[in-house]
Amino acid sequence: MTAIRFGRRGLLGSALAAPFIGRASAQGGDPYVVGTLFPLSGPNAEYGGVFTAGAQLALEHIEQDRMLKRPVRLQAEDTQALPQQAVVGMNKLVNVDRANWTLVGFTAVSKAVAPIGDRAKVIMVNGGAVGPDLSGLSPYFWNVIPLAHLETRALLPYLVGQRGAKRIALVYVDDPLGDAILGILRDELPKAGGQLVGSFSVPRTAQQFGPVAARVRQVRPDAVYIASFGAQQSQIIKGLRDNGVSQLLCSYSAMNLDSVRSLPEANGLIFTGQKVDFEGGDAITRRFAADFRKANGKEPTIYNVNYYNATRLFGLLGQQVEAEGGQLGGDSLRAALLKTRKFPLVGGTGEFDDAGNMMAAIEVNELRDGRLNRLAG
Amino acid sequence: MTAYLASLATLAAIFAILAVTLNFMVGYAGIFSVAHAVFFGLGAYAGAQVALHLVPDALAACAVAALIAGGLSLCLALPALRVRGEYFVAASLGLQMMALTLFSEAKGLTGGLGGLIGIPPPRLFGFAVGALPLSLAALALILLAIAAMARGSFGRTLQSIRDAESAAEALGKNVAVAKALAVAFACAGAGVAGALFALHMQFVNVESFTLEQSVLVMAMVIVGGTGTLLGPVVGAVLLLSLPAGLAFLPFIPPTEVGAVQQIIYGLAMTLLMIFRPAGLVGDLSRGRSEA
Repeated sequence: MTAIRFGRRGLLGSALAAPFIGRASAQGGDPYVVGTLFPLSGPNAEYGGVFTAGAQLALEHIEQDRMLKRPVRLQAEDTQALPQQAVVGMNKLVNVDRANWTLVGFTAVSKAVAPIGDRAKVIMVNGGAVGPDLSGLSPYFWNVIPLAHLETRALLPYLVGQRGAKRIALVYVDDPLGDAILGILRDELPKAGGQLVGSFSVPRTAQQFGPVAARVRQVRPDAVYIASFGAQQSQIIKGLRDNGVSQLLCSYSAMNLDSVRSLPEANGLIFTGQKVDFEGGDAITRRFAADFRKANGKEPTIYNVNYYNATRLFGLLGQQVEAEGGQLGGDSLRAALLKTRKFPLVGGTGEFDDAGNMMAAIEVNELRDGRLNRLAG
Repeated sequence: MTAYLASLATLAAIFAILAVTLNFMVGYAGIFSVAHAVFFGLGAYAGAQVALHLVPDALAACAVAALIAGGLSLCLALPALRVRGEYFVAASLGLQMMALTLFSEAKGLTGGLGGLIGIPPPRLFGFAVGALPLSLAALALILLAIAAMARGSFGRTLQSIRDAESAAEALGKNVAVAKALAVAFACAGAGVAGALFALHMQFVNVESFTLEQSVLVMAMVIVGGTGTLLGPVVGAVLLLSLPAGLAFLPFIPPTEVGAVQQIIYGLAMTLLMIFRPAGLVGDLSRGRSEA
């Protein structure tokens, strides 16, 4: 009985002491801290692993190139892609780890942590979520991924001009992403010479698309634009094809998933994405691709690229601030960003606007037999 | 560190309000609901709308949130309470699923999946106040109210309904009214927690009001001890601080941190239920298997 009591006390003691174990080491050295707020457990944990791999490689390169005067430490916090956990993690990064730079992903997480980063003046960089409502969340919140509506705008000239698809129907998820793409198609399609002939919203949780397919067929479009994300995308494609929609399907970069690539019904799908040439690109891109393959034994994805760039940007801006004799804080890093604007990143030069959104070259790809073929851009 | 602990304590106090109010239904009245997050959400959206469009006053936000959550719970409780036991659990599960869809679709009120952003920090009579003292004050008031009710005739009526509903009815207790009032009080408390949550987070979206959240609050009640006054508070503090404490373990690689934390967390919960089946504050003689 005594042993059991000791065990319980030991367990309780360990739980109470746990917060102080890391504290000593956090105060022991003085490396810069890059914090990550990714899902590392739960249904979205795969994304967390992908995001972290890109950031880790960038940190290795920053150290190899001796870009900064101090070492950089990666501090990972598990958000499970949920806002409440993200707020706890962000508070820890800001107040305990004194993070100089944070990486975030997922729209709800980004929105939840933005007020904390804003108050603490800590830079937050998103490389995964594409909701247009992420632009301008805070002066310290930046995006290194083109937001979805920018991709849609880039697709229209190709769609109307080169494929002759003038009558477009939209199937969109009922959220800010879908609403923004609907707005772009309504405004920009007539300017490009096309017409939005129908728009059909679907709930985020919908899995059956037979009725939607019937309504799509009724408006007789030349092409169907799909604005959704995650597992629902392949369900929409299959639902449309199974219910007689044979027209051209098109979308944005979220379609670059294994679940879509391996879907026979997705053959011929056209979608936009960031332009990155791993083989024939510049030295930074080739080095990234080679070292990523060496470290992970597989081809990098665009999410690896984005979080590499998000972390490399810290190295570039930090170098600039250090050279000017400043301290690495939210204000100094932001001032450096707005002063320089253009940075050599993987995929080419990344250019930032006043709100901290990166402009990137967009390409149009076609999915054919599981492989991507570049059509334009 | 202080700011981090204050933020964690605020969340713990908010979830303690949720847990003690759910415990009032489960532990005192024997009404098992898995839809407590719905009323938490109603309060959060109501509080957020008051702060965004009327006045960022915590008292006003909490009052409106309590009225809306308590009032709507009454409308739903009256028909739903005609069923008892596991049938009410199923009814509340249906309510949870329906409410989640409504939260996602009622964009004008909830912001849909995108949620509501830019909620101002709490103020009280024009002065800026921290969410922590507000949450602790609300928790203390609700605990006092529950303690007073539990000792009074209303509490005894609820406990008699919990132990033998038919016998309570035979003795002339108005079971339907007592249960409906218990549900309304508990849900109004959840609404207050929701308003404080919105003011603390400054952002709310539907992902905070899912079935998983309802189950988490139920776990807080069970781990702490059902039918006890302070058990759910202990449960809430433990279930929120344990994962936060595990985040400080320095030897876990970045990509494995989530998985290792979840394994340790799950193991600790299992051990806790083996050695303290009636909860941390519950009676040790209850809950243990007789076999």
